[in-house]
Amino acid sequence: MNGTPTTATAGDARWERLPSWLRPRTSEARGTGQLRLVETTLLVLAGVLLAAATINDLHRQVGINHRLRADLATWRQYTGHTYHELTVDQELLGAGSEHEVVCGNASPGPPKARPQICLAIWGATVNGRRTVHGGWYLRANVEYDVFADRYGCFGAAGQGRCPP
Amino acid sequence: MSVVAQSERAVVRARSERWAPVLATLLALVLVAAVAEIVLDGAVGHSPLIPKSPAIAGWLAGVGERLGYRVFLIALLASTGAYAGLLALCGIAGNADARGGAQRTGASPRGAISARAAIALVAALQLLVFAGPILISTDVFSYIAYARMGVEHGLNPYLHGPAAIVGDPVFRYVGQDWIHVATAYGPLYTLLSYPLAPLGVVGALWGMKLEALLASAGTLALTWRCARERGFDPPTAMLAVGANPLYVIYGLGGAHNDLIMMLAMMGAVSLTILGTPSGRREAGAAALVVAGALVKATVAVLLPFMILSRRRPAPILGALAAVALGALVGYLAFGIHGIDVVAALNRDAAFVSSDSFATELAHLVGKPGVFPVDHDLLKAALVLIVVHLLWRTWRGYDWIAASGWALLAISVTSTWLLAWYILWPLPLAVVSRDRRLLAATLAIQALFVAHQLSPLLAPAQ
Repeated sequence: MNGTPTTATAGDARWERLPSWLRPRTSEARGTGQLRLVETTLLVLAGVLLAAATINDLHRQVGINHRLRADLATWRQYTGHTYHELTVDQELLGAGSEHEVVCGNASPGPPKARPQICLAIWGATVNGRRTVHGGWYLRANVEYDVFADRYGCFGAAGQGRCPP
Repeated sequence: MSVVAQSERAVVRARSERWAPVLATLLALVLVAAVAEIVLDGAVGHSPLIPKSPAIAGWLAGVGERLGYRVFLIALLASTGAYAGLLALCGIAGNADARGGAQRTGASPRGAISARAAIALVAALQLLVFAGPILISTDVFSYIAYARMGVEHGLNPYLHGPAAIVGDPVFRYVGQDWIHVATAYGPLYTLLSYPLAPLGVVGALWGMKLEALLASAGTLALTWRCARERGFDPPTAMLAVGANPLYVIYGLGGAHNDLIMMLAMMGAVSLTILGTPSGRREAGAAALVVAGALVKATVAVLLPFMILSRRRPAPILGALAAVALGALVGYLAFGIHGIDVVAALNRDAAFVSSDSFATELAHLVGKPGVFPVDHDLLKAALVLIVVHLLWRTWRGYDWIAASGWALLAISVTSTWLLAWYILWPLPLAVVSRDRRLLAATLAIQALFVAHQLSPLLAPAQ
């Protein structure tokens, strides 16, 4: 690949029985450059593909961030709290569904040290907000949002999500 | 060529030689300022980019403000731009030298950045990061946890995750995703980390940081010597590695053991290209590759390329002797699990990170993520690339470049990609005779940086 001018082969009698194209070389033969051209073309094509994938993913992430920002603003508006320590679960209501669950303390205190209110949010973003479809409360001091720790389910999205 | 054209070129060269040092100084200042911003803001703590850690950089905390994504990404972009500018300047000066027929004696290219300035810049960046907090990753706390499991608790780190030492002071700093995961690192690295365990969490943390700094200094010194031997400009080669933002901020900033692996890798490369070739040096080089693989297995990919390029028994014998010794020590220290590298590699190969190109490609074609069949396709692609590189090496291609391409291919086809993985081929790329490797490595790094930018374009909070 470096195109260095070279002399022929390894000069080792062990390899002389091999056809010349199979013999090892100590340095590359100066060819027509076709192999280098093919390799460079493939590299450029791979680079273009990876660049396209990166830009596409960046665009996708920016879209998600806009949606999450709307979710957080929606939680703050709905609860009347201006807390910043909120958690967003993007998979609970289905990965890729764009249905999110946002949880945060229902009263002032360290993160998760108070009972939390969780809101199920989805729909189009209008004026930087999305629609709350229901939710539930979570007991204090729990790390994860699991069925057993929920109570006070409300709205359509809360149906069947709390222990009886 | 006419006399007029020659004199015009001389004027252009003279002008560029005047402004190049000024521009290089400005770019170096931007690079230092950007890294200082990250370190000083990181020292304040309470940042999503700074892992929970003992307060080792509290004395720096009075200057900066809490490090947020926005400031971090702006600093990362600024340092990347300054780094690219410095390399371009060195490249321009190098070309001017080549046209002028100047001797390549290891001195820096005329007009761009002197050898002394390059060393000062790289030293400043490395020491800044060394003095600061652990950046971005919790991995170093996993290293300490594994060491403390073995030394303080009598547990085999190849059988248990850090969750087995919940009461140990290091446990609270280990990343949540890794608390049940046994070590994937080689037995040599685990044994290297053992002497640090009794020093306590803070002492061990400084020990890990010092190990990373020394490994980095060794890698840079070897890169310098190899570049000189191969006719490249040593200061430019050292800058390309030691001032690389991903190397400084992510690699050294996280005190990653990849730096120790890279030191072994460059040690092996230097043994094959410096001094008079001999069977003993080649056996030593192969043994060093094995030693690197006993730190982190990835570097083992160099071995077939080295052996194929030499076509002598010495590297094979050196590798076999080192494997036998390493396996014996690993077995005696950790039992059969300490030498079962394949199991650790298979386990890690199944992980998926959002920064991997595999995930990005899956999203590009409308899939939600990487599926098992994609793992198989990526492995097949990697095998094809490696076979092609082996064939090219057999037919005289530079084995160092082939090894660099293989490491780059491993990181690009991996579904679990982290910033410090795309550092692996960098020292090889700067001393390789195929300059496409350096261009490709830097392009992949640029794409990685670009992929981090979404919080800058649309903050979630």
